[in-house]
Amino acid sequence: MKTRLNLLTVSCIALGAFYSCDDTDDIINPVNVEAPATYSFTRNNSTTVDFSGQTTRIEMSEVILDALLDNSLTEANIDGKFGHIQGSNDFSDPELNASDKSVRSKVAASVDYFGSNSTAAAAIKADFDGYIAQQVNEIFPVWNNTASKGVPGNLQQAGGGSIRYINGDGLEYNQAFAKALLGGLMTDQMLNNYLSPLVLDEADNRLDNDLEVLNTGKNYTTMEHKWDEAYGYLYGAEATPATPTLDQDSFLSEYLDRVEADGDFSGIAGDIYDAFKLGRAAIVAGDYELRDQQALIIRENVSKVIAVRAVFYLQAGKGDLATDKAKAFHALSEAYGFIYSLQFTREPNTNQPYFSRTEVQEMLNLLTANDGFWDVSAATLNQMSDQISSRFGFTTAQAAG
Amino acid sequence: MKKIAFLAFIVIALSSCTSEDASSTGNKETNFDRKAMMVNLADNIIIPAFEDLEVKLVQLNAARLEFTSNPNQANLEVMRGAWLEAYKTWQYVEMFNIGKAEEILYSFQMNIYPTNTTDIESNISSGSYDLTSANNNDAVGFPAVEYMMYGLATTDAGIVANYSTDANAASNIKYLEDLTNQMKALTSTVLNDWKSSYRATFVESTGNNATSAINMLVNDFIFYYEKGLRANKIGIPAGVFSNTALPDRVEGLYSKTNSKLLALESLQAVTNFFVGKAYGSGSNGLGYADYVDASTNVALSTMITDQLNTAGTRMGNLNNNLSQQVENDNSQMTMTYDDLQRAVILMKVDMLQVLNIAVDYVDADGD
Repeated sequence: MKTRLNLLTVSCIALGAFYSCDDTDDIINPVNVEAPATYSFTRNNSTTVDFSGQTTRIEMSEVILDALLDNSLTEANIDGKFGHIQGSNDFSDPELNASDKSVRSKVAASVDYFGSNSTAAAAIKADFDGYIAQQVNEIFPVWNNTASKGVPGNLQQAGGGSIRYINGDGLEYNQAFAKALLGGLMTDQMLNNYLSPLVLDEADNRLDNDLEVLNTGKNYTTMEHKWDEAYGYLYGAEATPATPTLDQDSFLSEYLDRVEADGDFSGIAGDIYDAFKLGRAAIVAGDYELRDQQALIIRENVSKVIAVRAVFYLQAGKGDLATDKAKAFHALSEAYGFIYSLQFTREPNTNQPYFSRTEVQEMLNLLTANDGFWDVSAATLNQMSDQISSRFGFTTAQAAG
Repeated sequence: MKKIAFLAFIVIALSSCTSEDASSTGNKETNFDRKAMMVNLADNIIIPAFEDLEVKLVQLNAARLEFTSNPNQANLEVMRGAWLEAYKTWQYVEMFNIGKAEEILYSFQMNIYPTNTTDIESNISSGSYDLTSANNNDAVGFPAVEYMMYGLATTDAGIVANYSTDANAASNIKYLEDLTNQMKALTSTVLNDWKSSYRATFVESTGNNATSAINMLVNDFIFYYEKGLRANKIGIPAGVFSNTALPDRVEGLYSKTNSKLLALESLQAVTNFFVGKAYGSGSNGLGYADYVDASTNVALSTMITDQLNTAGTRMGNLNNNLSQQVENDNSQMTMTYDDLQRAVILMKVDMLQVLNIAVDYVDADGD
C-alpha cells in the first residue's frame, strides 16, 4: 500500500531544497573529507551503522551450502532454506526462521542490472533452483557410488583426501551454487544495487541526508544505510565488522582474503576497505562526488576478486588433471561458479559487467562440452584464463599465485 | 537502453538546483501554464471519465436488477457485459486517488483483487456486513461482483440457479445488489465532490510543493502505473516478487478472458493521461508530457510515450487470459513487465527530476 510521506517531512525537504538552492550557499567547497581510522560512524554517541539484513542472508547462505551436502534432505527442504518465507521452519536457528529475509529474493535483483530485466533475473534464479534440484535428484541417489566419465557419484582426492560429489561432467553442483551465489547475491547487491546512484540517491535521499532526516526509529539516514548495506555483503559475518579480519564466510570475505594473500594483488583488501570508509565519510559530509569515486574503486576491486579466483581455479584444475581427478574437478567446479559470477561484476563508469551473461554461458558451455571436466584440455583452460585475465588487466601467471 | 541510462546519468548528475548550469543539464526556464493543464486534466479527462463510469454503473445496476428479477442465461450474459464495460471504464479513473477518492479510500472499495471468496461467502450467509469496512475491502467492488457472476458455480446453469432455485438465492441477490449499489454510490460521491467543490481547488493548486494537487496528482499517476498496473496486473502474477509465479492473482480471474483487455485499457488510460488526451475523444490538450517538454530540452516525453507504446505492443501479444499466459510461457509476462518497468524509471526518476517534484510515497524495501 502507498504511504504518503507525512507533511512535516515533506515540508522540511522542500525547505531544504530551497535552502540548498540559495546561490550564495550552494557551492560545496571540497572540504577535505577524512575517513576515520575504522568503519565506525556515530551520531549522538550511538552508532549509525547497521546491516543486519546482510548478516542474516550470509548466515542463511552458509546453511544452504551445508544442506547441499546433506543427503538426508529433500529438494523441498533446501528450496525452503533458499527461498525462506518468514515464520517457516526452514532452519534450526529460530532467529533465521523468524526473519523476513530470503536469499533467493535478492539473487539477480539489483536495480542497475535487473530492475528492468526480470526476464534475465528469472533465468538466473532458475539456474540456482536447478543446482539444488540436480544435487538432490542426480547426486543424492548415487551418494555412495564411485563416479566415472559420464556417471555421477563420488570421487576421493588422492592420499585419503576429501570426497567430492560430482555429476557426469565432473561438476560439483554445490560448488557451482556457492560461487555463483557469491556473484549473484553478494556482488550484485553490493556493486549494482547499494552502490548505485539510483539507490543511494533515490527519491529525496540527498536532501534527507543533507538535513540529517533519519529513518523512523533509526539513527541513520537512508543513504547512510544503503552504503552500510553494501558494506554488509562483504563484512557482515565479521565479529567486529568495523575492523574486519576477512575469511569470515564462504563468500566475498573468504575470497578477498585469498586474493589479498597473493603477492601480485596484495593491497586490494585495504583499497576496498579504505574506499568503503571514505565513501561513508563522504556521505556524512555530503560530498556525493567523492562518494561515487569510492564506489568506482569498490566496483573495480570486488569485480577483480571474482576474476582472479576464476583464473586461479582454472589453472589449479589444469595442474591436477593428470594426477588427481577429484582435486582437479573440485578446482574446476569452483572456477565454474566464479566464471558464472563474472556476469555480476561491474566495469567502472559503465552499466555493464566485464563479461556478459552470453559470454559467461559460452565459457561454461566450453567447460562442460562433451564429457566436461573429464576431457577438457589444458589448452582450453589456458585460453579461457587468458580471456579473463586480459580483460581485467592482469596476467594468468599473476592470478595463478 | 543506452539512451535511458545516459539520461538517468545526466539527471542524477543534475543537482537539485535548476538555476545553475541549465545548459548542460537540459533544463530550461519555463513559462508553462500549469493552470491550463490542470483545467484540461479536470474538465476533459478526470470528470468525463468519472461521469462515464457513473453511467456504466447505473447500467450495471439495471442489468443486475433485470437478472435477479428474471434469472436466466441471457440476463446473466447481459449483466456480465455491463460489468465488463464498467470495469474497462474503471481503468480510466483508478489512478485519480486524490481529493474525495483519497479521503474515502475509494479504490480500496472498488478493485482489490484477488477477492476473498471466504469473506464473501460468510457475508452472504450471515447477512450482516458493513461493506465499507476495511475488512471487506477484498469482498467488494468489481472483483467481488465478478465472483458473484462467474465463480459461484462451475457452470452458468449452476450460477443462474444460485439466484433462482438455490436455498441461498435471496441472500445472493441481496449481496449482489448491495455490491453494485455501493459501487455506484461511491462513484457518485467522488464525482459530485469533483463537480461541486474539488475541481475549483484542483485547478488552482499549481504550486511546486508537496501538498499541491499538481504534484500529488503526478505522484498518484506514477504510483498507479508502478503498483496498480505494472505490479498488480503483470508483475505479481508473473512471480516477479515471489518464489513462484502466481497465476491466480490476475485481475479478472473468474471471467478468465478479460485480464489482458483490462491491462491494455489501463495502459491506454495512462498513455492518454500523460499526453493530455481528452477522455473518449481524440483531441489532445495540455498534459504532463507538455509540462515535461517545457521543462527540458531532452526528448524525455517522447521517450516515455515510446516506451509505453513498446510495452503496449508487447502486452498486446499476450494470451487474452493472463493466467494462462503465466502457465504457458511466463517469459512473455516478465518481458512485458520489463518493458513497463523501463517507463517507471523514465517517469519516476527522470521526469520527476526534470519537473523538480519530490516523490511522496515510499515502498517497503525489505531490508
